[in-house]
Amino acid sequence: MLWVDKYRPKTLDKVTVHDQVAQNLKKLVAEQDCPHLLFYGPSGSGKKTLIMALIKQMFGAGAEKVKMENKTWKIDTGSRTIEIELAMLSSTHHVEMNPSDAGFQDRYVVQEVIKEMAKNRPIDAKGKRAFKVLVLNEVDKLSREAQHSLRRTMEKYSASCRLILCCNSSSKVTEAVRSRCLNVRVNAPSEDQIVQVLEFIGKKENLNLPFGFAARIAAQSNRNLRRAILFFETCKVQQYPFTSNQVAPPLDWEQYVAEIAADIMKEQSPKRLYAVRQKLYELLVNCIPPESILKKLLAELLKKLDSDLKHEICHWAAHYEHKMRLGSKAIFHIEAFVAKFMSIYKEFLVSTFG
Amino acid sequence: MGKRPPVVVLSSSSDEDEGRGRRAASRGPSARRTRTPATAPPPAHATSGSRKKARRVGSSGRGRRRAAGPAPSGSLKAEFDMLSEDFSECLNDLGMAGSICQTEELWVEKYKPNLSSELAVHKKKVEDVKKWLEEKLKAPKGTFGGWTLVLTGQAGVGKSATIKALAPELGVEICEWTAPVPTLWTEHLHANSGLRYISKLEEFENFVEKIRKYSLLSPTSIGSQRKLTIVLIDDIPVTSGRVSFARLGKCLTGLIQSTQVPTVISLTQYHKTENNDTATWNSEDLESLLQSAGARKIAFNPVTTNSIKKILVRICKKEGSDLTEELLHQIATSSGGDIRHAIMSLQYYCLNPRRLNSALTTTTILPVLKSSGTLVPVQDDYGFSYVISTACGRDETLSLFHALGKFLHNKRDTYVNVAVDVDSFPLKEKLRRNPHKMEVPEKILSQAHGKVRTVADFLYENVLDFIDNDAIDDAWTVISYLSEADCLLAGSPISSARWMVNESYESESMTQLIAASVAARGVLFGNAHVSSSRWHTIRSPRVWQIEQSFRSRKDLILRERYDCSSTSGSRNFADIVTEFKPFERWISPCNDISRSNSVDHNVEASSSEEEEIEDW
Repeated sequence: MLWVDKYRPKTLDKVTVHDQVAQNLKKLVAEQDCPHLLFYGPSGSGKKTLIMALIKQMFGAGAEKVKMENKTWKIDTGSRTIEIELAMLSSTHHVEMNPSDAGFQDRYVVQEVIKEMAKNRPIDAKGKRAFKVLVLNEVDKLSREAQHSLRRTMEKYSASCRLILCCNSSSKVTEAVRSRCLNVRVNAPSEDQIVQVLEFIGKKENLNLPFGFAARIAAQSNRNLRRAILFFETCKVQQYPFTSNQVAPPLDWEQYVAEIAADIMKEQSPKRLYAVRQKLYELLVNCIPPESILKKLLAELLKKLDSDLKHEICHWAAHYEHKMRLGSKAIFHIEAFVAKFMSIYKEFLVSTFG
Repeated sequence: MGKRPPVVVLSSSSDEDEGRGRRAASRGPSARRTRTPATAPPPAHATSGSRKKARRVGSSGRGRRRAAGPAPSGSLKAEFDMLSEDFSECLNDLGMAGSICQTEELWVEKYKPNLSSELAVHKKKVEDVKKWLEEKLKAPKGTFGGWTLVLTGQAGVGKSATIKALAPELGVEICEWTAPVPTLWTEHLHANSGLRYISKLEEFENFVEKIRKYSLLSPTSIGSQRKLTIVLIDDIPVTSGRVSFARLGKCLTGLIQSTQVPTVISLTQYHKTENNDTATWNSEDLESLLQSAGARKIAFNPVTTNSIKKILVRICKKEGSDLTEELLHQIATSSGGDIRHAIMSLQYYCLNPRRLNSALTTTTILPVLKSSGTLVPVQDDYGFSYVISTACGRDETLSLFHALGKFLHNKRDTYVNVAVDVDSFPLKEKLRRNPHKMEVPEKILSQAHGKVRTVADFLYENVLDFIDNDAIDDAWTVISYLSEADCLLAGSPISSARWMVNESYESESMTQLIAASVAARGVLFGNAHVSSSRWHTIRSPRVWQIEQSFRSRKDLILRERYDCSSTSGSRNFADIVTEFKPFERWISPCNDISRSNSVDHNVEASSSEEEEIEDW
């Protein structure tokens, strides 16, 4: 088992990084009236860990026995029936799923799942906690329609089911949904906190950490705890005992994006653009999310850029990121950004160096 | 007793139209029977009857109902009579039309070429066919194979006409496959008594069988003066599905290999885009099949505008109608090389002088517009030319690739001084473009019948090849337009409205059209510095492969992830891909033996990709 999974705190009491949030959640559950919750924060900050611990707090160990199933939903839209297959994790008390996997049909999924859960409402012996919890991941990737229908179903079935929503950016969740939930912001852990966690793991694994090693990993992880732990484990696999100047290898896709950025800086022509497109395809086919590609690409390009151009480039990156959400083929928009960058950069080169 | 007469009167009055005789007859006995007050003459009786009727109607509901019964039937009958009158009138009209047809038949029939010199087909092709026929007619019997000629070409280029004109000149008889009136399958089901259902294919098979036998027999009758015959197969049955196509193919191959009579098969070519679905037979498949079976092929090109015009002028002279040169020219050009169609529309114009006038006015407008509206996008022009093409002419179709080629090559007039009109506001230098050397992009798109998504994908895939290597700005312009088109196609701006009201498809198709227009015009506008024209192959969009392999790969990754960490809960897919996957590569070999078979995923992906390329 990966260390990320192995050292994940299982209960709210054991949470170390966001202990304040955890205590509040515990109080919330103790009062037995849990509202809908919306967890948001950058990736690798511990949202999911908190959610799992919370569910365990609510239902006890029973919530840990989960099974994975690929369920097919048959949805009657009036004119025709759609079949959607979605993977979901479920225990007797909760269901976890990723509705944005259903693509543009996500709204049907949200409605249908919640309806079904409301139908099979569990009855406790004591009559308490007669609700199920539905965990929805990546709510920010849901379409607008799906979010609207989510809002309606939230109101209608609030007696029988509680929703726990999880997303990276709450700005992509509609106002209506946000106001119906208790918003819980989960910050990215500070580097000190990451160092603490790493040292904790090191102690448990009986490892000898040279001075400054944990801090270096924490710095490299970009305040992403998951990444930090993964880096840590990688280092351990590659070389132990640790040397003082050891660094974890960069992620392969990020390296690839850096290569693309170098290509773009080197030559600006339609031919090069075409070559870049092929490389982008390579990334996309490996399922790297286009948003991450664009973000990383921008970061790489900005590193080497004259500061006069930076704001303009950022503007265009934002523009095409927006377009990407509106459109359906990400490659069109990423490439448009690349082309725009090339165009601006070439003009800049010509004007400065002649 | 007293009740009967009114009833009789009622019934008789209801079918008043049926003639007096019967009514009198029916009233006769009743009058005799009532007898008591019946000294009054028949008219008086009738009035009393009607009075009685009125009374009865007032008194009893049953009576009224009965009275009401026949009344509608009477009106129905009247209606029917009227209808039948109409019908007979129409029939008369038709008869008249028929009689016109007899004296003055359709011009297509009337001016059917009787001599090979009258044919509008290119001289050389006619000569080819003639030579082939002569050769075959002289050739000794007994050899197998090589007796078949396949004529291919669009509809209405004169394939059958050539044969029919040549036959009398060579003194041969044509034995033609005429499809008998078919029994429809539904008819067969409906009247399953007498009619036996024979599919066209079966009938054709029978026919072919007959020819083969006949051709085997004919050499025996050689002693007497034998009549030379040509078999002309004009109407190859339409097959759908692989099985029946194979049957047809087998039948035709058999025919070609065994026949000893000159056989001409005329095969109409369709545009590939016209019958998009693969289920229907493809004329090209059939063509290659026939050729591989050993048939000689002569391809007929569309008739040139000039020769169509020549023939039209000749007909006009004979008919004594004075159509303007201009209109004739237009008919000829819009017919698209289909002479039958050209003659038909000529006759149509000669029939209806009013139509002619309106068409003439539009034709006069058209050139004016064409000359003025060059710089600005000419929407109106599009509308007008559309009107014209429906007035006389046929919808032209382009293949998708033809249309793509037009967009990508972006041919423009080369003269520099773009006539900036006085009234039009001056455009900035960098926004100015020379006029297109083609039709309006929207029209080309509508002719190409391509799905918008497909067109956009193709344009995206190929456009960079056509941009000059220095013009990165242009590349950006083009791609940004394509990105806009993609947004339009995804339809997000209006999609929020779509689910609330069950909005009609109209708005959706509207965005589709706009997206197509944006894509095409964006490509045309943005590509200001076209790279020097050379041969480019048009690639099929790689996006499709990428999307496909993306999906399959995503499934794979998700499954893998769930398998090995089902207890720890699922994670965001993005996290899995961007973080777990790369680390797993480093960690897994030592950590977990079961996972050690996971290969470097880049390598794996590229290999799977190559497989897919082969699939495509």
